[in-house]
Amino acid sequence: MPRTTTVECAGCPPLRALTFDTLGLIKVVESRGDRGIPQVVERWGNPDASKCVLAVSLDDSKKDPLLAVARKSGVIEVLNPLNGEIDVSISNVGDAGAQPEDDAVVGLHFLKRQRLSGSCTLLTCTTKGNASMRCIEVTGLTADNASTGASRTWKVCASGNILCSELDGNENYALFGGKAVEVNLWDLEKCSKIWTAKPPPKNSLGIFTPTWFTSATFLTNDDHRKFAAGTNSHQVRLYDTSAQRRPVISFDFREAPIKAVTADQDGHTIYIGNGSGDLAYVDIRTGKLLGCFLGKCSGSIRSIARHPELPVIGSCGLDSYLRLWDIKTRQLLSAVFLKQHLTNVVFDSNFTDREVAVEAQNASEIQNENEMGTVPAKRSKTSKEKGSKRKASKEKDGSKRLKSKEKSH
Amino acid sequence: MGRKLKKSDNEAMAEYENDIDLDNIDKKREKRKKKDEEGEEKRVILPSMIKNKEKRSVVHAKLQHMKKVEKRKKLKARDATEKRALELGEEPPLRQVPHTIENTREFDETICKPDDDELFAGNDADEFGSILRREQIPKILITTCRFNSTRGPLFISELLSVIPNATYKKRGTYNLKDIVKYASNMDFTAIIDVHTNRREPDALLVICLPCGPTAHFKLSNLVLRKDIKNHGNPTSHEPELVLTNFTTRLGHRIGRLIQSLFPQEPNFRGRRVVTFHNQRDFIFFRHHRYIFETKESKQNDSKGQKGKDAKGEKISQEKVVARLQECGPRFTLKLVSLQNGTFDTKSGEYEWVHKPEMDTSRRRFFL
Repeated sequence: MPRTTTVECAGCPPLRALTFDTLGLIKVVESRGDRGIPQVVERWGNPDASKCVLAVSLDDSKKDPLLAVARKSGVIEVLNPLNGEIDVSISNVGDAGAQPEDDAVVGLHFLKRQRLSGSCTLLTCTTKGNASMRCIEVTGLTADNASTGASRTWKVCASGNILCSELDGNENYALFGGKAVEVNLWDLEKCSKIWTAKPPPKNSLGIFTPTWFTSATFLTNDDHRKFAAGTNSHQVRLYDTSAQRRPVISFDFREAPIKAVTADQDGHTIYIGNGSGDLAYVDIRTGKLLGCFLGKCSGSIRSIARHPELPVIGSCGLDSYLRLWDIKTRQLLSAVFLKQHLTNVVFDSNFTDREVAVEAQNASEIQNENEMGTVPAKRSKTSKEKGSKRKASKEKDGSKRLKSKEKSH
Repeated sequence: MGRKLKKSDNEAMAEYENDIDLDNIDKKREKRKKKDEEGEEKRVILPSMIKNKEKRSVVHAKLQHMKKVEKRKKLKARDATEKRALELGEEPPLRQVPHTIENTREFDETICKPDDDELFAGNDADEFGSILRREQIPKILITTCRFNSTRGPLFISELLSVIPNATYKKRGTYNLKDIVKYASNMDFTAIIDVHTNRREPDALLVICLPCGPTAHFKLSNLVLRKDIKNHGNPTSHEPELVLTNFTTRLGHRIGRLIQSLFPQEPNFRGRRVVTFHNQRDFIFFRHHRYIFETKESKQNDSKGQKGKDAKGEKISQEKVVARLQECGPRFTLKLVSLQNGTFDTKSGEYEWVHKPEMDTSRRRFFL
């Protein structure tokens, strides 16, 4: 007889994730309750290939959060991440003069520090290397005639294509890299390049691998000097701007190009995903592989996001699944099928705060259940064992959640 | 043997002993027989337990026959109950559906549903849209790997007869990436690369141009036209295309990829069908000619009473029978990987790669 039981995915702690796809749709995935199964709650926008999302930035402040989305048509939209209403929509075409198809936006970052009431500052960067900082008036009521305030533009590179850009935690420095562009660090206040990497030397056969950076990330929020970068030639490199211009550590990861690199909060672990769907985490201080996340992931990973509080990461990519993983056990918590090729995923960290009341209720309910635990009336014979297992893990999770709550308070 | 030896030693004693022995043996045999009979009543002797081949085969044949008879009885009884139910105007009892690997396949949430608006929006936006909307006529370039001999060229010549508007170019020593550039400059819509190993075609690489996906198939069980019995020769009409069982998202995409290789306006006068049938992730390719023939139905002759009543209708009662004749190659494809963008093994991103860790269940299919 066929195996009718499927391998169960342990549910997720309560979280809220936003995913962005190639048809320009934004989908909100929420998991409620203690070990809920994440589901698509909302879908914003209409499917349209020209609205393909290229870059995303989320300002996660508790009061008045904002979400910026750069689309293929050259439009940058600022949305409310709670209900998906478009506050401002500006066109990126005007100032560069080039067609949006040729000069797509690759980097988009909110400068959270410089946010005033009613306006925000955005750093954008295009493939041709046109970086710009602009101030946008976000007046909730008059969405149509939003005026763009002061803007500064500069050229990051003369030739080549920019493929990745990153903003450091203090928002004073930005990082750019790409195809035939070495990673370089810019001071945003002076708009000047302060550091450029040097390519590694030719190997023993005299072969030079061309520069092609695909992803980069700063290791910690308060240190702009250390960052990790992934290359197309399946290398991950650690740079320290205070030490040298060549990489401090460089190691290979599998055979496919690295497509996503994300740092953990602890400052030395990074998560890497590559073009054939392998996801792993690495201690960047030693370059040692700590473990792989296995779960029949078959499509290229485009984006990895680390949840700010819970020990959860989310990955998405061309296999159109959003996968949520437990960091400690490396187990797949849940996989949500989202129908399109996904380009980005972000976590909304304020979600747990909003749901505290509900959670508390849930927690008490769970406790009640545990007390009642021995009553077998509701469970059928076959599910007995599973039930007890689940309960055990529930208890674990409960304690985790409590910890995370303590952190947040 | 033992008896003879004993006889030579001491005859008188031996004979006496023999008598006793024989008596004993006879008694034992009787006992055994009794035991066996009791055993037969209790448990059936399986044919595999009998050591003599002749006897075993007899018993086996008997068993098989019994089974057959029983099955026939069962079917008859079922048919009878169905007929009775129909006569009485009741619902006939549901027929049992056998469990197969396909109908017990693992639940897959990616199976396409007809009410999915995102699916259709995605279809409109994808790379094959312009061909399938008939805005563009497919133009195919067929090439090979660098070393190509015996069955490779034969297979390609048959592929050229299957796919209209296809041209063959020698591979030479060009890189595939250069060929992709050349072909997209020459307005080709797809490249098919036949890879041969040990003089036997073993892989098919389909690259959609200018920016479309690249599918890599394993090719097996290739039978050329010459080796098919009673094969026909195809005409140059545009063929009809049959794609079956491409159900999931990935399957749907592969189906559209295959569809985009053929012109979208079949010439029905040609009566030519090209079939891609997906079963358990294997895609079977067949190429047929069909014909509708009219035959006088035999029902009238066999049932004389009814024939008398329907004499007037006799002339019009002609059966239309479809007949198939296979032509062209016959082969099986299995998807290995689907890559986003044109051929690029070094920096390519995969939409789907087959990994060994996916093969943990016989009932999980991806197409």
